[in-house]
Amino acid sequence: MPAALFVLALILPFIVREFWVHVLNEILILGLFALSFNMIFGYMGQLSFGHAAYYGVGAYTTGLLMVKANWPLFVTLPISMVTAGICALILGYFCVRLRGIYFAILTMAFGQLVFYIIFQWYSFTGGDNGLQGINPPAWLFKTNPYYFFTLVVVTIGAIILWFISESPFGYTMRTIRDNTERTEFIGINVQRYMLINFVIAGMFAGLAGAIWGPFNRSVAPDLCSWQHSGGPVFMAILGGPHYFLGPMLGSVIYTLLNAFVTGYTEYWPLVSGTVIIIVVLLLPGGVLGVYKEKFGHLKSKESTTLEHGGS
Amino acid sequence: MKSKALKIVFVFVALVFLVGLAGSGKVMSAEPYNLGVALGFTGAGTLYSKDQLEGIHVAVDEINAKGGFLGKYPIKVFQRDTQTKPDVGVREVKDLILRDKVRAVINAYSSAVAVAVKPICREYKTLHIPALSNSENITKINYSPYTFQVAPNTYMQAKAAVLAIAKMAKDKGWKEYVTLASDYEWGRSTQEEVVKELKKVAPQLKLKKEFWPRLGETQFTSFITSIMAMKPDFVYPCLASKDNVSFIEQAKPYGFFEKVTFAGGMVSVTELIIEAKTIPRGLVAITRAPFFAHLDVPMMVNFVKNYRAKYKKYPSDWAVMGYDAVYSLKQGIEKAKTIDTDKVKDAMKGLTVDLTRGKLRFRPIDNQLSCSSYVGVVGDDPKYPFPILKDVIEVKGAESERPEAEIVAARKAEQK
Amino acid sequence: MEFSFIFSQFLSGLTYGMILFLVASGLSLIFGVMNILNFAHATLWLIGAYFCYSFWYLMQGYNFALWVSIPLAGFACAAVGWVTEIVLIKHIYKRELHEQLLITYALALIFADLIKIVWGPTDRLIARPPAIQKPVFIFGAPFDSYFIFVILAGFAVALGLWWFLKYTRYGHIVKAAVFSREMVGALGIPIPKIYTWVFTLGIFIAGFAGGVQAPIGSVNFGMDIAIIIQAFCVVVIGGFGSLLGTLVGAIIVGEVFSFAILYWPAGAMVLIFVITAAILIIRPWGLFGTPMRT
Repeated sequence: MPAALFVLALILPFIVREFWVHVLNEILILGLFALSFNMIFGYMGQLSFGHAAYYGVGAYTTGLLMVKANWPLFVTLPISMVTAGICALILGYFCVRLRGIYFAILTMAFGQLVFYIIFQWYSFTGGDNGLQGINPPAWLFKTNPYYFFTLVVVTIGAIILWFISESPFGYTMRTIRDNTERTEFIGINVQRYMLINFVIAGMFAGLAGAIWGPFNRSVAPDLCSWQHSGGPVFMAILGGPHYFLGPMLGSVIYTLLNAFVTGYTEYWPLVSGTVIIIVVLLLPGGVLGVYKEKFGHLKSKESTTLEHGGS
Repeated sequence: MKSKALKIVFVFVALVFLVGLAGSGKVMSAEPYNLGVALGFTGAGTLYSKDQLEGIHVAVDEINAKGGFLGKYPIKVFQRDTQTKPDVGVREVKDLILRDKVRAVINAYSSAVAVAVKPICREYKTLHIPALSNSENITKINYSPYTFQVAPNTYMQAKAAVLAIAKMAKDKGWKEYVTLASDYEWGRSTQEEVVKELKKVAPQLKLKKEFWPRLGETQFTSFITSIMAMKPDFVYPCLASKDNVSFIEQAKPYGFFEKVTFAGGMVSVTELIIEAKTIPRGLVAITRAPFFAHLDVPMMVNFVKNYRAKYKKYPSDWAVMGYDAVYSLKQGIEKAKTIDTDKVKDAMKGLTVDLTRGKLRFRPIDNQLSCSSYVGVVGDDPKYPFPILKDVIEVKGAESERPEAEIVAARKAEQK
Repeated sequence: MEFSFIFSQFLSGLTYGMILFLVASGLSLIFGVMNILNFAHATLWLIGAYFCYSFWYLMQGYNFALWVSIPLAGFACAAVGWVTEIVLIKHIYKRELHEQLLITYALALIFADLIKIVWGPTDRLIARPPAIQKPVFIFGAPFDSYFIFVILAGFAVALGLWWFLKYTRYGHIVKAAVFSREMVGALGIPIPKIYTWVFTLGIFIAGFAGGVQAPIGSVNFGMDIAIIIQAFCVVVIGGFGSLLGTLVGAIIVGEVFSFAILYWPAGAMVLIFVITAAILIIRPWGLFGTPMRT
């Protein structure tokens, strides 16, 4: 099934107009961002409301290196993952000591902290102006080439995340999610595992951010804001947090909806707020969750239902 | 199972495809000229953006009444909200260009958005007409042949303010001052220029302290009390629109304006109208395009008349510049005799245009309109239900533009 | 630096702290009793400010216009809050944390756009009545006379809430519910009704706080985003569900802000977040809160 989707993604740019290829590009990047978020949420059972911090760090790393030091994109991508990972390591060290709402608020506070640092450090980051002139190399400059580049990077990223989630490490995450205490009792250092997972999630969020910069030709501190952190949360819940590709599906629906609605009205927050409420109230388990109920079966490797998320 | 999932996916794709098709096949009797307007309708610049859109609509209505550009291309306006954020601005402008196929975009608030949008318009060969944000960086560096600035830029405004302040400093024997500038692109670049120029023109003045409230600051109390405690001879204020209003409102109850001279700050017609009852008279202020300074120009009189008929109020600077932006475009198209963007941009380079503010020219080196800055004193006028700037000194573009040699040097420095 | 200047900075910080307290107290109350972190709280505060403007506008000719509009704004908002609770919030008490957060976040988005639709994006200015147009002088330094009212209003609300919680029957029920809702339910007290009234009360305070804010500067779109995060910090620092904690937390944040503006303006917010993060790490339930009950 995912293979079919990949083929579809390959041929779409040749069917639809350029504008929609841009939208697809955005879907992929935000989808990777949401997938990385889901490592913490769907698989580990904690709600991070500050995940955009690592997305932003990745975006700025690539942006700064490309604009100020003229480093090529291919080199900045892995470096962005490293810086985002380090940021996740430092901040995550404190976050994993908390659970539930405290975890959520601390991640949000840290997210805002990163936002304000980038915002205020005008001399280094350009502050509220953001960074302009982040140009991908000439052969990736046009819409279609950059789209395929994104597709390749996101697919590889998703495959790696998939392997991690299906590894013994991934299953340990699920046990932490389902019953943290018991996991402690069987001798697993829960905090250390949570931290590792947090760092992994941060690294891939950084990767998504790193591709975003050249796509938009600029970055701004807003990328780290808590409103931006809300995006992947909703996408994961919309698509279904217990299925690996759920967040990607959420990105498809949400981003398409956004692209569509903003063409007709300026009241996108009103529409998106209403959609969020409807989805949360009426679609438990997300689209894929409802699908599973209606049609009975999906691949057997889906994770089990969330009980009381490890609080 | 696989087929069911695939079916859903294919339905999705079909929908996307259909939507894509639906958007493209609009058959019109006359080919329209799609004009994009990407301003900050939410965020700090709401007031100004709304005014500018109104000015644009008056111009569009007038031109469409005669059939549109060149008499045969009716103008269709597409508006987007940049939310005063550069990345949103970029996204919205890309939207306008790719989906709505606009040929020109009037943009932006704030200056940071305009700077971010500039390369996008260049990439997609779309005209970019800033008529509100005026940071010099929009035109000084990273020259784009598609960007034409119709507002006096920060350097020009700073120079004008400086000339006025220097004169007052000499007359009143001022010695010390502080600056109060919003911490964002426009605030920073303007304050920088003013401080630099003041040093040249009035070297006896000492800058005691710089205050940098953030853009969108809502609580100015600490700044108000700090400045009053320092007792400077004057304050050079450089606050963004809403903040300007907020600050003046918050400072008044402290008796701020009786104790401290506010000199050289921007008070546009917007503030004059909104704060008609409350703004302190006697403030020395600068603005970009006040209608009352050009009532000798028939085009301005006509504009004010049509604007008032439509919106039942007087036009602010932003409305004037929005109107001028559309008419600049019109004259560029008329010179090129086509709406083809590349030909229009070539025609607009170095073009002299007839605007509400007079006969003005786009300087070839940076596509900056040689428009004036206006310094005056806030005072009441029986003709209007709000105070205006009196004793207006019009500092012309030629007097206040940055010398071309400096621009060349700045661009060279940027290349490194 | 002169004492009068420092004192007036202190008072400014206190004023800002009071506004934060007024916004955060409802937030803390709602969280303490119902465990809902209301992302839309600041937006409702902003709606209160707009309501205050509208009421004032209708009564513009009269000197008492402003003073009447402020509590009216509270009631108008309480009505909005009451309807919201009955229609929506009621159904999410038993939901997961992430669902509750997303729903209140969505509410914030919806209310913000509703403000745009109803009042438009232009700034609204309230012209002050003569009584508060001139500054008062405290130890020689000028101070906005309206701020005296703000400080008094803040303390009044704090005292009112304290008296309510300590001495009235309903207050006792609310306090008990913070401690253990199961017990309260077991005693035959209708929990759903309590929740509705607590939520309404919380929003009333938010609306009242909006009214108090309205004459300061202007009422404009986007003020809610700035203040919601600060309100969260206040509640975290002070401790969820603790009235005293919210008051202390608000004053701390207000004063840190006020003085940081002087010496490290860029870092004012950074400092507040560092403090918030520190509290969450060292003592997650805040200075005056109690460790989360299960």
